[in-house]
Amino acid sequence: MAASDYLKAQGISKTFMRNNQAVVALEDFDLSIAEGEFVSIVGPSGCGKSTFLHIVGGFEPRTGGSITLAGKAVSRPGPDRGMLFQDYALFPWRTVLSNVTWALEVKGMSRAEREQRARKYIDMVGLSRFEGAYPAELSGGMKQRVALARTLVYESQILLMDEPFGALDAQTRELMQEELTDIWQADRRTVLFVTHDIEEALYLSDRVIVFTARPGRIKADIRIDLPRPRHAHIRKTPEFMNYHTQIWDMLRDEVLRTREAA
Amino acid sequence: MMARQFGFTALRWAAGLTLPVALLVAMQLTAGQEGMPRYVVAPTDIAATLWQLLTNGDLVGDALASISRSYSGFVLGAVFGVAIGLLSAVWRQAQAFFDPLVSTLYPVPKIALLPVIITWLGFGDVSKIVLISLAVFFPTFINTLYGARSTPVNLVWAARNMGANRFYIFWHVVLPAALPQIFTGLRSGLALSFVVLFATEMVGSHNGLGDMIIRAEEAMRYDWMYAAILTIGLLGFLSDRALLVIRRKLLANKYPGEARRT
Repeated sequence: MAASDYLKAQGISKTFMRNNQAVVALEDFDLSIAEGEFVSIVGPSGCGKSTFLHIVGGFEPRTGGSITLAGKAVSRPGPDRGMLFQDYALFPWRTVLSNVTWALEVKGMSRAEREQRARKYIDMVGLSRFEGAYPAELSGGMKQRVALARTLVYESQILLMDEPFGALDAQTRELMQEELTDIWQADRRTVLFVTHDIEEALYLSDRVIVFTARPGRIKADIRIDLPRPRHAHIRKTPEFMNYHTQIWDMLRDEVLRTREAA
Repeated sequence: MMARQFGFTALRWAAGLTLPVALLVAMQLTAGQEGMPRYVVAPTDIAATLWQLLTNGDLVGDALASISRSYSGFVLGAVFGVAIGLLSAVWRQAQAFFDPLVSTLYPVPKIALLPVIITWLGFGDVSKIVLISLAVFFPTFINTLYGARSTPVNLVWAARNMGANRFYIFWHVVLPAALPQIFTGLRSGLALSFVVLFATEMVGSHNGLGDMIIRAEEAMRYDWMYAAILTIGLLGFLSDRALLVIRRKLLANKYPGEARRT
């Protein structure tokens, strides 16, 4: 296994039936991610980028192709791939603390040990004062921070994030991106991140993958050579703006194609 | 602000009390008058009778007999309703097995089955309890089934992602997700258990509040009759409140849309 093939998706395709017609959502592409890399996928809505993420997560079956993680074939969902959902997917009947301990309970870890580990991550996302609160009592940004802690706690080999900040207001979203960057820069886990927000993808990523309109394929694979650690002011630099323009030009064609198709 | 709020609350109370008070006053004034039917009894007489029956213990035996039938039937129907409802929600074969019978019997007034059940099980408590449990079963079953079915798919995905198996997801995701609607079913079932209880007691019973109404009618003691009806109302009301208290203990703050107070 080459170092750049930590996550390796080959020949991925997905076809589903709608009104007795076959719809091709994803069309035969390859994607490899190196260990410790932060990779984002951007694309017009409906291009299949979330579907691809769900396939990697094992939630949706693929029609063709293979996926390996650290050399091992994956198909069903499992804690080796930590998933973060756009709508948080927190258990509303559980407190912040017991949401974060959930995965450790499944593993059968002792109460003392799992609470100690959960508190470390709750502290990392800055919610120590709220560990006894229920999700309904928290704001959207706080809920997503709980969900992040809940996913980080089981120390998966890769993190899959499906537009995790898509439901948040613009200011909260920007702050969450900065928090995620800080956390990521501390321990450099492998991340596959799906978004429709170019600026978000740029700020967070080492590589940005641009998807075509449906059927989804890889249109471009761009390495983002912006220095790390990154901070908020990088968004205003000319290099950042150049990447933004470059990606938007590619994406614009695809968005227009989606509009024509509709 | 406070004064206005108080005034408003007082006004609403007054509006709600107008009709019952007017009715009581009318009964009080007309009872025993020339040309009035005998079933118009002065509320003060009813209260005196009720007090007398309660203190000399005459009513306690009947009330206890009724409560034990109704609660036995309720518990039996609720246990089966929740169990089979959950099973049908997660296991398609169970749903296929129970659905035809449930769909056919659901709209049938359960009291119509009383003669059949008496033929099978006799005039004793068993047939009464079975009929009550049948009445409780249907709303409990249907609400449990749909409550469990509407478990958000992302919660199940999140659970699978964290390594939980089907059995674990059933106990720790589907059941708690269905809980609010299970309580809705239990509440309808509880009300129906009282309706059916008194109907069963009015046929071939030797005790219970339903039987007491029949005995009072035969003896033309309309004050007894009202005392029995009042007791029924009170028992139903208290049981409903008890269920709401349990519901609040289990659900308050934790579920979206579940208020802090009822």
